[in-house]
Amino acid sequence: MVSEKLKGVILRELDLEDFDMVDSTTASMVPGWDSLKHVRIIMAIEEAYDLRFRTLEVIRLKSVGELQALIDKKTA
Amino acid sequence: MTFNSLAFFLFLPAVWLAFYAAADRWRWLVLLLASYAFYAALGVPYLLGVLLGVTAITYGCGLMLARAGEETKRKRIFWGSVGVNLSVLVGMKYLPFLEENLKRLFHLGQKSPLLPVHPVLVGIGVSYFVLQAISYLADIYLETQEPETHVGRFALYMAFFPKLLQGPIERAGDLLPQLKQTYRFDYDNMRSGLLLFAWGLVKKVVIADRLALYVNAVYGDVHAWSGLPLLLATYFYALQIYFDFSGYTDMALGVGRLFNLRLTQNFKSPYLATSVADFWRRWHISFSRWILDYIFKPLQMIWRNWGTKGTAGMAMALLVTFLASGVWHGARWGYVVWGVTHGIYLAVSVYWNPHQKKLHKVLRLEKTGVLRVWQMVVTFHLICFSWIFFRAESLSDALYVMNNLFTGLGNYRGFLFQHGTTELAALLMGLSIIFAVRLLWTSGREMPDYPGWLRWAGYVSLVEWLLLFNIDIQRAFLYFQF
Repeated sequence: MVSEKLKGVILRELDLEDFDMVDSTTASMVPGWDSLKHVRIIMAIEEAYDLRFRTLEVIRLKSVGELQALIDKKTA
Repeated sequence: MTFNSLAFFLFLPAVWLAFYAAADRWRWLVLLLASYAFYAALGVPYLLGVLLGVTAITYGCGLMLARAGEETKRKRIFWGSVGVNLSVLVGMKYLPFLEENLKRLFHLGQKSPLLPVHPVLVGIGVSYFVLQAISYLADIYLETQEPETHVGRFALYMAFFPKLLQGPIERAGDLLPQLKQTYRFDYDNMRSGLLLFAWGLVKKVVIADRLALYVNAVYGDVHAWSGLPLLLATYFYALQIYFDFSGYTDMALGVGRLFNLRLTQNFKSPYLATSVADFWRRWHISFSRWILDYIFKPLQMIWRNWGTKGTAGMAMALLVTFLASGVWHGARWGYVVWGVTHGIYLAVSVYWNPHQKKLHKVLRLEKTGVLRVWQMVVTFHLICFSWIFFRAESLSDALYVMNNLFTGLGNYRGFLFQHGTTELAALLMGLSIIFAVRLLWTSGREMPDYPGWLRWAGYVSLVEWLLLFNIDIQRAFLYFQF
């Protein structure tokens, strides 16, 4: 399940007030989430959770659910 | 064999009939043999060998990648197989160019024993199938794609003749599942496929080839011209390359549909783009997706900590990506400058965009029609400027064109009427018809919805147009050379 914290970071970076996000949500479904914004979202998540992603880990992500799972794994 | 050759008009029906008559489990084989025959018909025997070699290596490495569990081993297989594919590309396209530039750099004579002499190899299609092979391997490595186990279907994915010479560069996830589907005769696909093919042929032989008559006269001898003719020839070239390449893509997509296969759309009205980034979402889409996914995104991620919020990293990733795009187009400095120009446009926009948004807000221009039209005009001219380097025969010719674009009216009458009033009228009429049809299609009404008599009148007019106004029907497509 997508946590409120992760959703908050994504919405802040995209300048969105609200957007319903579930595990299967992909970047192309969210307004303004293009490849340029993508890297800013990743950097904001790294700062908020105090972690560091590897390039391949990020490139392999296909949905917000997978992003949440990766964060959970790294912060466990 | 090209799509606009008489041989292809005999080949295509023969392949379709064999495909239709074959049992479903052998239909892939009919298309595969037809694709190899189509490639062999170019008359360059080693090309088929290169295609077979790339297919075999990519197929084998794809399976090995999926079976290797350990990350280090996976990495080794992936980079090894990408290296082999890139070596094929370099060997076919760049060795003579590298050799010539090294000789110039070190002032070496033509018969230097230090550098071997390489023959100039014909590499039609190689740039496209090598990129497709790399995308297949990358998708398996990134675990977004399962490897294809059926060697025949994989070979067809690599070689399918409508997209073999000039793309679209198909992703495995888009094309492979379609190759496994059972074929059922579909009248709508046949009709829309033939119509799309004929439409693409009109774009090529009626419009693009006619524009080429004017463009070649100027760009073939730029020093004989100055002022307005240079400007007009650059606009004409922008239209020529679009109609040539999108015409080819329409024909490829049309042929694909005859076999119930949907290939990737490569163009979405690129000259209506409101920014250079938008242009690249509309121009040669299968290629821009490739460079975005496999070059830009990894670099952008690796360099994400450069500058404020990764801005410098992003700008550098864009520069490198578009430099690579220029190099891919061929071993000529003009293509490199063209790619770097696009890289600079995009890198500058990374810094300029936030200020631009504020400026539009202050001027109350946000989301207005005026702003949209202004952005389209500016973007079109930025693109046209970059085409000068792409089209000019040499860098010195390109610089001459740049310096003499605005030096007066020049011999503009000589440019416009060089082939007579009838040719110019045929060109302007053709362009008007294309734009009118485009407007009708964007309004949402597709040809098949019209009453039968109107559709058939359209089909007959299209064929008459082709027969009466085509220019040298066997002229090669521009993008074959890349």
